[in-house]
Amino acid sequence: MNEQALITDAQGGNLDAFNTLVLHYQDSVFNTALRILGDDDLAADASQEAFISAFKSIASFRGGSFKGWLMRTVTNACYDELRRQKRRPTTPLEPDTEDGEEMDSPKWLADPNMTPAQQAEADDVEHAIQHCLNNLPLEFKTVVVMADIQGMDYTEVAASIRVPLGTIKSRLARARLRLRECLQGFEELLPASYRLEDGIKVS
Amino acid sequence: MNQRDLELLSAYLDGQLNPSESTRLESRLNSDPQLASVLTDLRATRNLLRKLPARRAPRNFTLTRKMVGQNPPLPRAYPIFRFATALATLLFVFSFGLNSVSRLAASQAPAYGMGGGGGGSEEGSQPFSAAAPAAATEAPAATEAPAFEMVPAPTMIPPAASEDTARTANTPAAKAGDTANALNPNQPEAQNPAPLVPSTWQLGLAGVAVACFLLMLIIRQLAISRWR
Repeated sequence: MNEQALITDAQGGNLDAFNTLVLHYQDSVFNTALRILGDDDLAADASQEAFISAFKSIASFRGGSFKGWLMRTVTNACYDELRRQKRRPTTPLEPDTEDGEEMDSPKWLADPNMTPAQQAEADDVEHAIQHCLNNLPLEFKTVVVMADIQGMDYTEVAASIRVPLGTIKSRLARARLRLRECLQGFEELLPASYRLEDGIKVS
Repeated sequence: MNQRDLELLSAYLDGQLNPSESTRLESRLNSDPQLASVLTDLRATRNLLRKLPARRAPRNFTLTRKMVGQNPPLPRAYPIFRFATALATLLFVFSFGLNSVSRLAASQAPAYGMGGGGGGSEEGSQPFSAAAPAAATEAPAATEAPAFEMVPAPTMIPPAASEDTARTANTPAAKAGDTANALNPNQPEAQNPAPLVPSTWQLGLAGVAVACFLLMLIIRQLAISRWR
């Protein structure tokens, strides 16, 4: 795939060229939206919105990392979706315990129709991580999703969300620390190789 | 551990420190087990995130032309027909307005025409010397007309005109006709005013507007079907 040629064609209004780019990047875009929003349907909607918005504003793309530019578009679509959610609050997904407190375990997400093996798989690290990601502040979550899940480098992330490199470093470090603290609550789910040491105290 | 150390460890994990910073941190890691333990935890956390299974998009997010509001490329003739449709429609409507205004003006004209007619001819004014000025002044009030034993105001002129014509009948016919017209030029229009824009023109304009509109639709539909 000659990405640059496709981008140039898309900038000239060629929708077929843009759709080729969509097919190439749709999994990354969807995964980013999924990890930021924590919901499949919302992530699909945000991804579609992001691609529509990207096509309409592709003329403003002035080179650099196209993936980074797309990631910026999808994070903006996610922010819009979260703002909409805030305006129309819905019942929280997480059920309360008998004491009226929010359950802090991903086990409730399990599908009762699954086999024990599937159940074990479903009760796994993914839900724990998604749960912990959901608890992160949005700006931390965006950085950690781009850097650690999408594998983008610092400069790419900085260019994508238009914040200084130092801020990216700081947010990523703090996001990892918070995730680590959160994941300690799910230690029984983590593979032995990922078991964490005792808590870190950051002054 | 302070914030600065946390950032150093995180950046070190990603290979984002310069060589001298890396060397300094490595020597500290060798001597500080707590710092090394934090690095291990951060690495484990990062590895967990990296191992997160990538989900496939639940469907294709390819865009349709409708989604992005893209319109089919229309031929150059399209705007010409669109303009012609708009212009013909405008002129058609305008012609009705123009005819209405002219009709209204014509219906008010006899009151002034009659006065002029009454005083237009010295000869003709004689027998009506009493009636004509009165008619000229009274005419605006159309209801007064029957008092003069004449037909309603708009038709008050014909007797006068016919009398005038009769009186001028001694002159050659052509001259009589000219005189009659000269005496009261508004008279025929007042009775049956001819529209400023003939109805044939109006029909023509309507026809042009409809034809251009239909052509415009056909061109558009053809362009859309070809585009798809």
